[in-house]
Amino acid sequence: MPEYDLTLKIAKHLDRHMIFPLLEFLSSRKIYDEKSILATKLDLLNNTNMVDFAVDCYKNLNPDDEVPEHLIEKRKHIVNELVELRDLVSPFIDLFEREDVKKLLETDRDHTIILDHLRNNYSEYNPDETIPVLYRFAKFQYDCGGYEKTASILDAYRILVPGNDRHIGDVLWGKLASDILTQNWEQSANDLAQLRDWIDKNEKDTNALQTLQQRCWLIHWGLYVYFHHPKGREQLIDLFFTHGESYLNVVQTTCPHILRYITAAAIISKRRKNIMKDLVKIIQQEAYNYRDPITELVECLYVNFDFDGVQNKLEKCDQVLANDFFLAAFHDEFMENARLFSFETFCRIHQCITIKMLAEKLNMTNDEAEKWIVDLIRNARLDAKIDSKLGHVVFGAQAISPYQQIIEKTKNLTMRANAISISIDKKIKNVDNMGNWNKTASTSE
Amino acid sequence: MSRFFGHSSSSESETESENEIVEVQKPRQQIHTFESDEEDKRQRVVLPEREKRVEEINALVRQLKNAKKIKDVVKSNQSFEELIKSYDKCKKIIEKEGHLKHYIRAIAELENFVNELWADAAWKSSASKPNSTALTKLRQRIRKYNKDFEAEITDFKAHPESYPEEEKVAGAKESESEKSSEEESESEEGSESESEDEEPKAKPSKVKVAKDEDSDSESDWSMSDETTSDEDIDYDQGDSWKAFLKDKTTEKVSKKEKEKPRKTKEKVIVETDEETEKPKIERKLFGKDDEINPTSVLNKLNEIISSRGRKGTDRFEQLELLKELRNISRLHNVGPALDFKIIFNQMAISFDYNTRVSACMKADTFHECLRMLDEMINILVDNQNIEVNETVLDEEENVTDKTKPYKIRGCVLTMADRMHEEFIKILQQCDAHGTEYVERLKDEPKLSALIDKLQSYLEVKGSTQELCRVYLRKVENIYYKYDKDNEKKSAELVDRLCKYIYTNDSTDRLRAKAMLCHIYHNALHDRWFEARDLILMSHLQESIDNSDIPLQILYNRTMVQVGLCAFRVGNIKEAHSALLDIQVGNRAKELLAQGVMVQRNVEKTKEQEIKERQRLIPFHMHINLELIECVYLVSAMLIEIPYMSSRDFETKKRLISKQFHYQLKSSERQPVVGPPENMREHVVAASRSMKKGDWKACTEFLINEKMNAKVWGLMPQSDKVQQMLREKVKEESLRTYLFRFSSVYESISIESLAEMFELPRSFVYSVISKMIINEELMASLDEPTQTVVMHRTEPTKLQTLALQLSEKITNLMDQTERMVQIRGGEMGAFLNRNQQGQQNQQSQQSKGQGYKQQRGQRGGQQQQQQHQQQKEAHKNY
Repeated sequence: MPEYDLTLKIAKHLDRHMIFPLLEFLSSRKIYDEKSILATKLDLLNNTNMVDFAVDCYKNLNPDDEVPEHLIEKRKHIVNELVELRDLVSPFIDLFEREDVKKLLETDRDHTIILDHLRNNYSEYNPDETIPVLYRFAKFQYDCGGYEKTASILDAYRILVPGNDRHIGDVLWGKLASDILTQNWEQSANDLAQLRDWIDKNEKDTNALQTLQQRCWLIHWGLYVYFHHPKGREQLIDLFFTHGESYLNVVQTTCPHILRYITAAAIISKRRKNIMKDLVKIIQQEAYNYRDPITELVECLYVNFDFDGVQNKLEKCDQVLANDFFLAAFHDEFMENARLFSFETFCRIHQCITIKMLAEKLNMTNDEAEKWIVDLIRNARLDAKIDSKLGHVVFGAQAISPYQQIIEKTKNLTMRANAISISIDKKIKNVDNMGNWNKTASTSE
Repeated sequence: MSRFFGHSSSSESETESENEIVEVQKPRQQIHTFESDEEDKRQRVVLPEREKRVEEINALVRQLKNAKKIKDVVKSNQSFEELIKSYDKCKKIIEKEGHLKHYIRAIAELENFVNELWADAAWKSSASKPNSTALTKLRQRIRKYNKDFEAEITDFKAHPESYPEEEKVAGAKESESEKSSEEESESEEGSESESEDEEPKAKPSKVKVAKDEDSDSESDWSMSDETTSDEDIDYDQGDSWKAFLKDKTTEKVSKKEKEKPRKTKEKVIVETDEETEKPKIERKLFGKDDEINPTSVLNKLNEIISSRGRKGTDRFEQLELLKELRNISRLHNVGPALDFKIIFNQMAISFDYNTRVSACMKADTFHECLRMLDEMINILVDNQNIEVNETVLDEEENVTDKTKPYKIRGCVLTMADRMHEEFIKILQQCDAHGTEYVERLKDEPKLSALIDKLQSYLEVKGSTQELCRVYLRKVENIYYKYDKDNEKKSAELVDRLCKYIYTNDSTDRLRAKAMLCHIYHNALHDRWFEARDLILMSHLQESIDNSDIPLQILYNRTMVQVGLCAFRVGNIKEAHSALLDIQVGNRAKELLAQGVMVQRNVEKTKEQEIKERQRLIPFHMHINLELIECVYLVSAMLIEIPYMSSRDFETKKRLISKQFHYQLKSSERQPVVGPPENMREHVVAASRSMKKGDWKACTEFLINEKMNAKVWGLMPQSDKVQQMLREKVKEESLRTYLFRFSSVYESISIESLAEMFELPRSFVYSVISKMIINEELMASLDEPTQTVVMHRTEPTKLQTLALQLSEKITNLMDQTERMVQIRGGEMGAFLNRNQQGQQNQQSQQSKGQGYKQQRGQRGGQQQQQQHQQQKEAHKNY
């Protein structure tokens, strides 16, 4: 199913290192030629310091050839530099293991205090000169694939520099990347939040295009977190629907393919009701620009009410999900939810359906379908009864009585009346005070 | 008074004298004209600065005196104003020598004169109204003014003898000035023959003056020459000329008259041209023995153009001279740069040729200019070593030295722009339905070809900003043309050019223009999504109110085109909301600058009207107004009829489209409704049948021979549009039918509905489902029997009343809240939130009011406001 594969589109917005998991996944799904994947990998590796990996790849790609000279050459070079940097930095890093520093780090979050402490007590380590090297070392480590180490060094770096350091953005990005690559989802969710704050904060200072780019990256990198972290889907929905519209705008302008993930998250998540309307609007708007079975599914359900179409799309979704790196893990959950979802809508429209037809629509046997419905009824998610003689499901009527309507309409009137009376009281008090003040003023004269 | 009437007093006299009785006006105008004419001639002899000024003041003082003599206050008021102005000009002299004595005398005497008149009750009672008002004005003015000269005036009163009436100017001039002052007193009688005598004397180079009329126009012409330093004055010169003409053409005082003199004037200009031709050409540019080399040619050129824009230059003569010069220089091969410079100046002068803003070039001049522009570009293309730039300083200019790269100050692009402007003007002046218009329009490809040429040149040599400009010029030439055969190519072209402008333009204006043109072009070719996204991304809706009017017009045009596009694609709501702003208030013609509207109750001043006329879009770019209205009304019908039917039982009805309702109501008022004749009646008739759910009759009313000829035939793919329209009518009729008649049914089978409306079953199913989900229809589907079961229970009388009561209470609450808020009560967070909630609700209800799918943070509500503001802004222009 390469037609629905988004790897290429997504990869554009990812860091080099983060593409490897995607490629690994692709090769496991075998939808592309193994060779071409290996070649891509090698290509990617060329600009990193992970020479060993590159050599492996090369061997896989050309089993008969010798490993080319320049790779070996490069390896030597990199090892040298690594050693050099490590020598510079490692004693400094060891400092953090000392009792006093550790304690200080735990209690104090202010970088100046820590820095002063280091300057005063360990001046032989030249903290002021070493800190910039620390940053370089982290970058180097990252390039070599030492993500865990990178994360810890960057942590240290962040503590030691002021909040307006010019590298701070890079540090945040680096931290997020290394946390993602070490699959530390809890931590990376934190990083993501920090990064988002940072981008929002700097929105005014950077130009719009840059902000757009950064947000776009954030969304893409975030996919790793959102679809691995247990609360990720909720966070994804929050990002797009509760924190203003800036991220939705980004999706619409630069990367409409993200709509697949938003839609999937919305279907998987329980909170879909409120956001579905907005989402459908956006999907319709971008329909000419991007569509795949998942967005079409929603369209069928919410715009056309075409339940045969839904059925059809569900089948397609099945494949798309299986081949998507991020969504593969949610395959079953998605299918179940989508089914429930379409059934819910279906029920809202109908007052009576045959179980046979339902079974067809839900891709189940008659008995399964009946059982499924019984479960639903028992869990009180459905106001319905089964007429087993005719094989029908009959739903309760939901007509709203005028009585209900009037209650709805007048419910908040008391509250509003109260608010008015309070505000009038306030006003009167103010006027009185003014009067008093005037009086006192005139008497003092 | 606008800047048009800025400071020139002659125009004031014009407006004032309009109120005056014509008899009074006649001689006065003449005096004024002739006098300045003579002055003009005198000035051709170069006077030293001081003497020139003194002379000027003398003349004015005389004029003032004459006016006083006949107690014409209006006139003296004018002269006084002029006097003050010209006196201000000689500040330098004053600084050097102190105040001019005769000037002091003049103003002091004037004050006396005014005071006398003021006291003269007899005069007052007999004086005409303009005269007496002028007196009051003059009195105030002179009091104020003379305060500055208090010391001098008291001195004058003490020793009047030391203040001469006029200051004598050097020798030879003296006699003439005296003479002319005599003439002036004579010319008071207003005889035209007087001036005829004067003519040959003052200007011996003139061979003969054939007719009375000619001499008139001649003198007038040179007079307007005299002051043509800037456009502002041009206009009023034209005006005073008109007044001048008035007395010998017609005495009609009507607005139409304005047109007439303009035409006559053109004719007169032609005559003058022919007349002056002969003597001028004979004049030799170079003496026989003069050596002709680049330097001498350059000197000659500078000599000729140095008089450009000065008073009293004869542009025709200049043009001829330049032509001559160019021929000579070509013979002697002076180099391309110099040649370029000559043509450049030739063009510049051609553009100056017409003094009035509204007048346009003659066709042959225009062709001449086209040719010149072509030559200019050719020279540039052939000689890559010429640098033409506006930033080149005069000193740096190099046109003669072959060894160094040529540098010329100037900008071909500006010339091309002006050509375009001129072209638009020519089209504006033509009758859009005549053959002349077509003739003129044939020049358009030539102009476009030139711009293409220029573009390819600039792509090599020009700066990015210049490129942006030429691209925009090109886009502006393309955007409104529907490209039938080669849609893709033109789309790509526009896309490429506009994108270049977006990225490289440093001024927002070009970008906004390019964007609008881009959107327009997209919309014209039915690329709805692209057009929509561009609008949303442009954020122009926010800033359009603050932009200049041509841009607003373009914006309006674009929005209309977007609306039409939305309709063709089948997005009725969007079409409605895009067209709403233009259609509201019946001002489409004006908002699109496709004609000047005469409105009741709104008085437009002349300038306003002229300005409006200048902004008019040439006919071939028009969008058919009837088409717009029809599309709007049909979209309104498709939205409004089902909506109306769904709200049958509600007390408060909201109108989505006022205009549509107006049409409906006005047809309801008629005692007998005949068969529909025009477009509106057709739409109304269609709406009426739609109300009954009769889609067949509805489509027949909408799509028939008449409507095809009037409206649908105008769309490029009218078959498709009609098909779409049929589908939409069916769908909306179905909805209307369900709303209206659902209460009669216990259940309806989907099958029969599908048959009734000739729609596929699945479609009916989907429409009904949508209505159920949106809670528009109280019903549910019964799957085994394939029917719609209605749940609607008619509320009892009591229940209906209770519902109404609750609604009213809510209303009352809203009102109270608003009132408290207005009185400055502190509204808690609760209330504010509540109100926002209401607004949201409203905007959601108002289906398609404004673009709801905005990408910015704007809600529909806000946008509506903006549009209103925009309309107001437009109104104000």
